[in-house]
Order: sequence, then C-alpha cells, then structure tokens
Amino acid sequence: MSPAARLAPVTCLGCGCACDDLTVQVADGRIVDIAPPCPLGRAWFGDGAVPARILRVGKDAPLEAALADAADTLTGARGRVLVVLAPDVSLQAQRTALALADLLRATVDTTTSEPAASGLLVAQRRGRTAATLGEVRNRADVLLFWGIDPNPRYPRYLSRYALDPRGTHVPTGRAGRTVISVSVGQDRGPAGAEVEIALAPDQEITALSVMRAVVLEHPLGELSPPLAAAADAAARLMRARYAVIVHEAEPGVEPARDPYRAEGLLAFAQALNGPTRAALSSLRAGGNRSGAEAALTWQTGYPMAVSYRAGYPQFTPARRGLAAALAGEVAAILVVGAVASLAAALAEAAGRTPVVVIGPRASEAAFPMRVAIDTGVAGIHEGGTAYRMDDVPLPLRPPLAGARRAVETLAALLGAVHARTTGRTP
Amino acid sequence: MSAPDRLRITGGTVYDPANGVDGEVRDVCIEAGRIVEQLPAGAPSLDARGMVVMPGGVDIHSHFASSSCNHARRLIPDEHATDPAPAPPLREDEPPARSGTGGSVPSTFTTGYRYAGLGYTTAFDAAVAPLLARHSHAELDDTPCLDGGIFVLMGNDEYLLRQIEAGERDRARDYAGWLLQSTGAYAVKIVNPGGIEAWKSGQRNVTGLDDAVSGRKLTPRAILETLADATNALRLPHPVHIHCNNLGVAGNYATTLASMETLAGRRAHFTHLQFHSYGGGDGMPWSSAAAKVIEYVNRHPEVSADVGQVMFGPGTTITADAPVEYLLHKSSGRRWTNIDIELETGCGIVPLTYKDKAAVSALQWAIGLELFLLSEDPWRVVLSTDHPNGGSFQSYPALIQLLMDRSVRDEQLKLANPKLLGGGALADGLAREYTLNEIAIVTRAGPARLLGLRDKGHLGPGADADVTIYGRDPDIATMFSTPRYVIKDGAVIVEEGQLRRAPIGRRLRVAPGYDEAVLPDVRRHFDAYASVAFENYPVGELPGEPLAIG
Repeated sequence: MSPAARLAPVTCLGCGCACDDLTVQVADGRIVDIAPPCPLGRAWFGDGAVPARILRVGKDAPLEAALADAADTLTGARGRVLVVLAPDVSLQAQRTALALADLLRATVDTTTSEPAASGLLVAQRRGRTAATLGEVRNRADVLLFWGIDPNPRYPRYLSRYALDPRGTHVPTGRAGRTVISVSVGQDRGPAGAEVEIALAPDQEITALSVMRAVVLEHPLGELSPPLAAAADAAARLMRARYAVIVHEAEPGVEPARDPYRAEGLLAFAQALNGPTRAALSSLRAGGNRSGAEAALTWQTGYPMAVSYRAGYPQFTPARRGLAAALAGEVAAILVVGAVASLAAALAEAAGRTPVVVIGPRASEAAFPMRVAIDTGVAGIHEGGTAYRMDDVPLPLRPPLAGARRAVETLAALLGAVHARTTGRTP
Repeated sequence: MSAPDRLRITGGTVYDPANGVDGEVRDVCIEAGRIVEQLPAGAPSLDARGMVVMPGGVDIHSHFASSSCNHARRLIPDEHATDPAPAPPLREDEPPARSGTGGSVPSTFTTGYRYAGLGYTTAFDAAVAPLLARHSHAELDDTPCLDGGIFVLMGNDEYLLRQIEAGERDRARDYAGWLLQSTGAYAVKIVNPGGIEAWKSGQRNVTGLDDAVSGRKLTPRAILETLADATNALRLPHPVHIHCNNLGVAGNYATTLASMETLAGRRAHFTHLQFHSYGGGDGMPWSSAAAKVIEYVNRHPEVSADVGQVMFGPGTTITADAPVEYLLHKSSGRRWTNIDIELETGCGIVPLTYKDKAAVSALQWAIGLELFLLSEDPWRVVLSTDHPNGGSFQSYPALIQLLMDRSVRDEQLKLANPKLLGGGALADGLAREYTLNEIAIVTRAGPARLLGLRDKGHLGPGADADVTIYGRDPDIATMFSTPRYVIKDGAVIVEEGQLRRAPIGRRLRVAPGYDEAVLPDVRRHFDAYASVAFENYPVGELPGEPLAIG
C-alpha cells in the first residue's frame, strides 16, 4: 500500500447492509476518508489503527509461545470448550474456527441476538419468504416498515436498496413506491410515509393476526381503530405488485420485543404470496454475522448454538453458548473475532475460566485472558469473504495492510491442537 | 507419507465401457494420478481378484453446494438430528476429519465423505444463481473427495432476457461467456425459462413455450433457442442443461416434447426427465407419458437426459423453479422457503416424503423406472435422483438394484399404490434388467461423456485415476453401497470399505472466449440495477485451471 491511495470499491461491514461501493482514502497508513459518507461506516473504519499485541496472562509474549499456551489450554479442556464466533472476521477465519471447534468437541455459538435467534427458529418451523436487497430495490412498490426506521442503524438501507433508487419494475424510484409506517410503542417507522399506523406494544401480535386474516379472507369482527388501520394496510399490501415488509431482526441491546413478532411477520409475509408477491426483509447487524450462520449451517446443519461434544453436531438453541459459560459448564473459552461486544458477558466467566481471544483488539479486552492475540479487522486489514444481511457473499478489499491475519493465526492454532490430539509434533 | 505414485490394481473384473471393456479380468495401472498402459514389475499392487472395477462415479445433476442447499439445511433440523455423522477415522497424516449431519441435505464434509463412500468422485451442483456462485465455491472448498463444479442459472436472467427481447443474440452469447467465466462455472443451466421472472413479476408462471413472459416480447421458446445456440457457439463441453417449463404438472409431457422439438438438431441436455413426463391434465387423471418422451429421446441422438428418479422416503425439493414450490407448499401444507434473487432467478424449498401408498408418488417412481427401462441408449439417458429432489444421492445403490434386479422391482411395485399405474409400461411388465456394463455407463461413462470430461468416466491411459472397486454381493444394493476401495487421483481414499483419506478435489470450470465489447453495456446494467458492484461480482481466483475448450 502506497502512503496515499484511493481504493474502490471497498466493502463495509459496519452494519448488515455491507455496502460494497465505498471509496476509501488512505494516507500514511491511515484511513482518512470514506465516500459516500455514512456515520456507521466512518465509525467502523475509523482511521484503521489497531493494536498488534500478543499477550499471555497479561504479559507480552512471542506468537509461538502464545499459540502453544492456547493450544495446551484448549486441548486440555477438550469436550468442555466454548468457541464464540464474534464479529469482524472473514468467512475463511470462521470456517477455520469451526474446524477447531469440531476437533475440540466444543460448543460453538455466534453473537446472534435472542430476537434474531427466535427468527431463525421460526424459519426452521415454517420456512420463510425473503429476497435479496436488489430485489427490494427493483420490485418493491409497497413497503411496510414494522417498528423500524432503518436510518439510525442501517444508514444507507433506504437510499441504496429500499426506497430511493430506481428499479427495473419501479422506474421512478421513490415516487413509484408507497410506504406504510407502523410504529409499535416507541419503535417508530420512517418519516414521510404515505400511511402511518401507531400500535401499542400489546396490540402488535393481534394486529399481525388481523392482517393475516385479511389476506386469508377470514371474516373480521369489529376492530378498534388501530387494528382497523392495520387491516387496511394489509389490504393495501395485497394490491401491491411486490410487497416488502421490513423489520429489525436484531434489536440488540434495546428492550426485548414480543417473542412472537418474528412468527407473526413471517406468517403474514408468507400468506401475502397468495394474492400477490411478497418478501420479508430482515435487518441484521454487520461484522459478517450472517457469514458465521452460513458457514455453521453448511458445516453442521444448524445456524447457531451447536455442540460437537458428542463427536458430531447437535443443536442446542435452548442453551446458548455464553449462558453455558456463565453457568460454569465450560472449562475454556475461545473467542474468534472482535471481543468488545462480549466483554460484559465474558467478564464474569473469565474470572474462573481461561479465555483465549484471537481477533481485532483482543489485547484491549477489560477482563483477564489466558491468551490474547490481536489481528486485523476483516475488510479493513484482511481480505476474504463476508456476507450481507440477505446472505449475499461479497469480497473484502482491505485498504490497509500489515496487521496479523486472523485466518492464518487460527490455522496455526488448528495445527497445534491437531498435533496435540494426535500425539504428533506439529 | 503421501499416496504411492504407482499402483497396479490386479485381477479385478473391469467394466470400462468407454473403452469397450465389458467385464474382462485385467489389471489397471496408475501412475502420478493417471491411468497408464503399464507399470514396471514390482510396482505396488492392490489385489482385486473377484471384485468389480469401474471408473469413479460421476453425478451429472445434484444439488449439494449452493446457497439454496444451505437454505434447505436450515429448514430440516429434524433430519439432521436423526442422522448424526461422526468424523471418519482418517489416517493420521490427513488434516483433521470433520463431523457433520446427514438427512436429505447433509452438511458439506459429510456430503463429500458419503459420495466417496458410494464410489462417486465427481459431482456437479446443477443450479447456482450467479450472484451466489461465491457461496457455492466456499461450500465446494468444504466438500472433500469430489472434483466438483457448478451450473449457473441463466434462463431468467434480466440482462439476457433484455438481449433476447431486443434480438441481440450475439450479445446474449457473449454475456453468457462472461457469466460463466466470472462465476467459475462449468455449464449453462435453464430452469423454467421465463417462468421464474413471471413468478416474481406477478404473472405467477408461464405455461407454454409461446407465452409472453410478463407481457414482454419474450417467450420461453426464444430463451431456449438463444441459450442452446450460445452454449454451442461457445463450444462448451456440456450442452445447455434444461429444466423445462411446467415441472410437476399433469400433462406436461407435451411441453417437454415441444421443448425438445424446438431445439431439434441442436445439442441439449434435458434434466430430471421424470418430473416432465406426466400425462393427464384437463380433467383427466395423472398418467405416465414416459413412453412418449423416451421414444423421442431414443430417436434423436442430439438429445440427452438424466432421469431424476423418485425414491420412496424423505426428500427435500430445492429448485430455482419457485412457482412450483409455492404450489407444492399449498398442496402439501409443508414448510416453505422462497428467496427471490435479484436480476437472475428464484429459489423455493419444500421438504416432503414420497410414500409408496400415495398415488402420485407411486406414479412418479414408476415413470422414472420406465424412462430407464425403455431407454435404448444408456449413454444418453443417465442416472440421477435430482438429489435431493427425488431422493438422496445416498439412495443410488437402491436405485441401481431396481434397475438390475427385476424381482426387487416387482416386489416394490406390488406395494405401490396402483391407482394411477394402469396402462403404464411398468405395470404391464418390463423384464429388462440392467447389466453391470450398463450401470457403468449410466453412472460414470455416460455422464462423463455428456459433460465433455475427457479424463473422467473411463480407465484408458491418460484418464484421471478415479477408480471404484466393489466386492461382489448377491444383494446389488449392498454391493454398490459399500465399495471395498475407492481411488481418487491415484490415492486410495477408501480402504476395506473405510474412508481413510479426504483430499480436496478439483474445481471443474470453463473459461470460454467471448467478445469483451459486451462488458460496458453489462456494466451499465449493473450500475443501474444491481446491488453488488460490478467489480465485486466475479468470484475471483479459484484453485486449479479451467478446462481447455474445443
């Protein structure tokens, strides 16, 4: 990388939109600008500076010694290891981490939030109806936003995919689209909608049932004004050429939503495909979380919460990985990826369980670690593949070089653990 | 220790139909991953006396490495839970073996291991959206033991449809060439030409070759003709691979025959023919039209097909033919996933079970067998279950038994619901039993030839040293489900029925020449309508080199 450079198109993993059209300006080994501007993108890239330390019990150590210690720690706990796939590593690093988990007979889990997890479970029971984001762009003539204004958490979702751009079947862009904004309690829809509906949180599931009843042409009884408005919205969606329902699938740290929301939305979207065509657009967080679910699914058959303890993958969605760690059920923890979002959950477990962290800013975690190895951030320092929220895989074009690569570090650890489990020297 | 460079397989009974060898006791010699004429005395040997030696199996049409398969995996946790697949005991000098889960759509490593465990060493995923080709290559990276490739979906591609509409057939050809190269694909696939675009745009589907697609100056016939011509002009090793309109619809044989007649004189491969050989409709009950369809195939050497046999038991229907899956969901009440894929195609998934007591399932089973048994040229009508649509690839040994053993077939026929079977050839009694030589044709030599894979499907000098050695067993299904040895690129990967090595296979792909003058226009199309940057669309570097064309 020359001291000053412009690189394009670069993929951003700041949110699940995974916009792959960025131009990144680099000067003196630092990111100085990204275009088009996006607050989340800017925060995610920062200036690209990351620590490059290797810590063993809090002290700087050579890589070989740290990897040997990590391999000893994890191999010694074989059968009682938790592997956490955290954000900001590439698909290739995630696949290597899964190989480690399999070899260690570990429990492996993702940072998929509980609301997102409930959506995955509903989709296992019912299936789902979805579309890639370009399909939303090209076809959606009626969009319903269910308790979500995408702007704060998905800043370019509306301008790049859902609302503003012209599409093959929506040649006039925004003018050719009708927006229905449903607010659920404090969860507001986007501004500027043609139709606005306000629901109290305790009306939400009833409203979704009423809307489905409209689509299925069930007789409706007398409805309160908000539910009547919801019924009218359902009728409007039925007249769409291509209806898209947008919802926040990953509310994250905000208060938990009704656990039946995912099922209600999914069932409604499926039913709409009788009278017209419809898709549910589920907004998911960034950092290649969707890649972790994809790789877990193809390697194990399950998208999250997998235990290899029996010698093969078993699905344990009722017992998520970190919950098991907090309950003292694991003897070692390996975090692969950016540990920051897990710090609070891990801090308690780290007091009694050795933790190995391999990922961006590992050394900065504020809890005791057996081994911490800093790596670059996928998409900023490390190439490979990452998945958009709609399961479209994209190439990563890192604008900066020089940071330790997570995929190679994990491959070295895999080799060391394999050597220990087979009794051979690496 | 690496695999020995040389190996002499001695004393086996060899079936190598591509070289005219039909059950002759002879040695097969291997050096540096290839079949050779002879080896020096003293070369390492493998005693195959009393055993049957064939080339490694070649699956021309399967669904095992795609984003659609992964969506299907998400839909069947119940199947995974009941079919655990612990890591096989590979040799210690191998990379760590991987565990997984089975069911009708197994996890990737398990897929590779189980294919190899049946003696298959090459397989193609037959339906990949170009946008998601990068995903398929990642799955193939995790699917060991197989040389693999993908067919990319073009029959509903918006840019292609626009070129066809505008009469720009040369540009359509060049775009097809660019798309193949960009996605690291092996062949052009058409699924329900125009019908998926119709599904996505509100028309729901097309029903005839001359239906207008979404009100445009565009018909399924024009799509078929354009892509068949493009494929032949690009000199691809495999002709256009066609899943016809009206899959699964009573009376659809007429559409199938019309599609074949449209392309008369042009090379074309018609896939899972069983799903397209139904009589009845218009108030008449479902019936078999296998005889009519296979008669056409028998008389037209430019046509080839795979059968898409239905096997009784669980399957998962995965197809780009999304409108069909919606109807299947409505009629079966089963779980349903639909994914619309921008500018290119669709994806529908419904898990289901084929029951011998269900009249339509029994008819589908019978039609598949009729196609096999009435086929006059096994080189052009080859084996598939359209895995996992008609049944899993893991049921191939049972299917081979049905073809080779009439008594087993008749026993199953007695148990099948007879309601719709009357008047069909199978119910009338088909005595034919496939020979081992014919099985070698429909499972390896034939598919390899249809795919244009010169180095596969045979045991002549220069061929890839992919060899399967079966112990004889009076029970044909047992014989084909547990090969004693499987050799991949010269390395013994199955020893005494046990998987011991799991090499990463080659990526089979083509890079046809095309006129790059098409690219600025393609780029404009991308900039206007795609959600992925033009530069980010090609899958980039892949292992190995593309196959030579011509």
